[in-house]
Amino acid sequence: MATVLIENLTKIYPPTLNHARQVQALGGLNMSITGNVFVAIVGPSGSGKTTLLNIVAGVERPTSGSVRALQEGVPAQIGYVFQEPRLLPWRTVVDNMLYVQDRKSDRSRREAEFYLQMVGLSEVADLYPSQLSAGMQQRVGIARAFLVNPDVLLLDEPFSHLDALTGRSLRDYLQRIWLQTRKTALFVTHDVTEAVELADRIIMLRPGGVAYDDIAITLPRPRRPADPAVRDVQDEVLRRFDAMGAAVRFGTAQAAR
Amino acid sequence: MTTAPTVAPGSVSALSARELRRAAWSRWGYRLSVVAGWAVFVGVWYLVARFVFTPQQLPQPHVVATEAWDVLTQRDFSTNIQASILRVVAGFLLALVLSVGLGLLIAYSKWWRRLLNSLLLFIVSVPTVSFAILSLIVLGISPMGPIINAMLVATPYITMNLAQGLTGVDRRLIVMSESFGRTRPQIITGVLIPSSLLSILSGARLAFAVAWRMELLTEVFASSEGIGFQIRRSFESYDIRGMLAWAVLFIIIMLLIENLVFRQIERRLSRWRSPEVGTTQ
Ligand SMILES: Nc1ncnc2c1ncn2[C@@H]1O[C@H](COP(=O)(O)OP(=O)(O)OP(=O)(O)O)[C@@H](O)[C@H]1O
Ligand SMILES: [Mg+2]
Repeated sequence: MATVLIENLTKIYPPTLNHARQVQALGGLNMSITGNVFVAIVGPSGSGKTTLLNIVAGVERPTSGSVRALQEGVPAQIGYVFQEPRLLPWRTVVDNMLYVQDRKSDRSRREAEFYLQMVGLSEVADLYPSQLSAGMQQRVGIARAFLVNPDVLLLDEPFSHLDALTGRSLRDYLQRIWLQTRKTALFVTHDVTEAVELADRIIMLRPGGVAYDDIAITLPRPRRPADPAVRDVQDEVLRRFDAMGAAVRFGTAQAAR
Repeated sequence: MTTAPTVAPGSVSALSARELRRAAWSRWGYRLSVVAGWAVFVGVWYLVARFVFTPQQLPQPHVVATEAWDVLTQRDFSTNIQASILRVVAGFLLALVLSVGLGLLIAYSKWWRRLLNSLLLFIVSVPTVSFAILSLIVLGISPMGPIINAMLVATPYITMNLAQGLTGVDRRLIVMSESFGRTRPQIITGVLIPSSLLSILSGARLAFAVAWRMELLTEVFASSEGIGFQIRRSFESYDIRGMLAWAVLFIIIMLLIENLVFRQIERRLSRWRSPEVGTTQ
C-alpha cells in the first residue's frame, strides 16, 4: 500500500531576472494520503499545484519540510501524466512507451501494447506523435504513466489543453483504467466538476500554496456527470470553492488597506 | 470535391494515404523545379557567352562540358580529385571532433560561452584568402595547409549549431525523463542527442561547403596538387576552358555529396516530422 506524507512543505522560488520578488509557491503544506485513493487537488492558477507534484516526483527540491512517497517502506515508483503530452517526437508511440521502461524485452513490448490498447490506441503504435491528434497524444501520456506500474500516479491537469468533448472522453478512459488498477493518485485540476467526478477526496489550495479545505467524496462509481447526485456534490464543492475565492479577495483587500 | 469519399474519424491509414499522395506530387514538383533551374542557368550562360563575351573570355557551355569530359578521362584527374577530397574530409572530421568539445563547453558553461563566441566570430570574419596566404607563409607548399584551414573555417559552424541544438532542448522532456527515473546517460542518448541532431546536421552541411571552398583556395596558393592547384595552373596559362572545366567538375562533386550524403542523412533523421514539414524541401 502506498503512502504520500507531506509535512510542513514550503517552496519559495528565489527572485529571477523577470520576476524581482521571491515567490512562495507552497506555504507549510501538510497532508497524508494512504492507500488506493484518488485525491484531487484543486486551486486557482499559481497556487503551487504543479510545484507540489514536481516535488513529489522528485524533480524539484523543497525549500523546507518533507515529502515522502513510499510503497511498503521503500521509495514509491512514480507515474506522471503532464499537462501536455511530453512525448519524444523522434520516437514512435510504442518506442515512447518503451523509453520509460528499464528492461527492453518482448514482454515489455507486450505490456506497452496492452496499455495502448487500454486507451484505444493499438492501431497507432508505430506512428510518430506528430501524426496523432492532441487527444491521442495525451492518451499515450496516460498509458505511459500506467506502464511503469506506478505506486503513486501524478496527473497535472491532463485534460486542460483539450477541447471539452475530448476531455470528457479521456476522463472516461482514466476512470475506467483507475477502477481496474486503483493506484494511489494525485490529480491536479482547477475544474471542480472534474474533481468531483473522479476523486475520493478533494484538497483545496489557496494562493500561496496553503491548504484551505479537505472534502471527502463518497459517491459510488462509475460516476456519470449527468447523475443528479453527482450534480449536487459538484454544486456544494463549487460553493465552497467560490467561498474561498471571496475569502481570499476579502483577505487581500484588508491587507492592502 | 463534394464527391470525395469521407474519411472516417480516426482512420489513420486513409489519412496518411492521402497525405502520401500529396507528398508524392510535391516531390515531383520539386524535382521539376530543380531541372528548370538548371536549364535556365545553362541557357543564360549560353546567351551571355554567345552575345556578350568572346570565346576566350567565356567559352560556351558545351565547350566547357567537352573539356570537363577530357579532364575526367585523363589520368591525373583522379589523383587531383582524391587529394582534394581526402583533405576536405580530413579537415571536416577534425572540425567535427573539435566541435563536439567546444559545443559542449558553450552549451554548459557561461564563461566558455563568452570566450568562444567571440573567438568563433573572429574566425568566421577573417577573409578566407588571409588563411590561404598565411598557410603558404607558415607551412609552405604542404598538404597540411588545406587540411588545417578547412578545419578552422568549418569548426565555428558545427560548434555553434551543436551548442544551439543543445541549449534548445525542451527542458520539459528532461523533467519527464527524470520523473520516470531515467539516468543521465539515458537522458543524453534519449533526449539531448536526438533533439540536437538535425541542428548539428545543418551546421555540418554549411561547414562542409565552407571547408571545400577554403581547401580549394588554399590549394590555389599553397599546394602542388588538387583541384585548386589545377584551376590556378589553367589560369596561369590563360586556359579559361580548363579552369571552368575543373570548376564545373568541382560543382558536380559538391552536388553529389550534398545529395547522396547529407540529404539522405537528413531524410533519415527527420522521418519523425509530420509529412507536411518533411516534404517541402
Ligand atoms: N521555476 C520557477 N521559477 C520561479 N517561479 C516559479 C517557478 N515555477 C513556478 N513558479 C511560481 O510559483 C507559483 C506556483 O506555480 P505552479 O506552477 O506550481 O502553479 P499552479 O498551481 O500549477 O498553476 P497553474 O494552474 O497555472 O498550472 C507561481 O506563482 C509561479 O509563477
Ligand atoms: Mg500547473
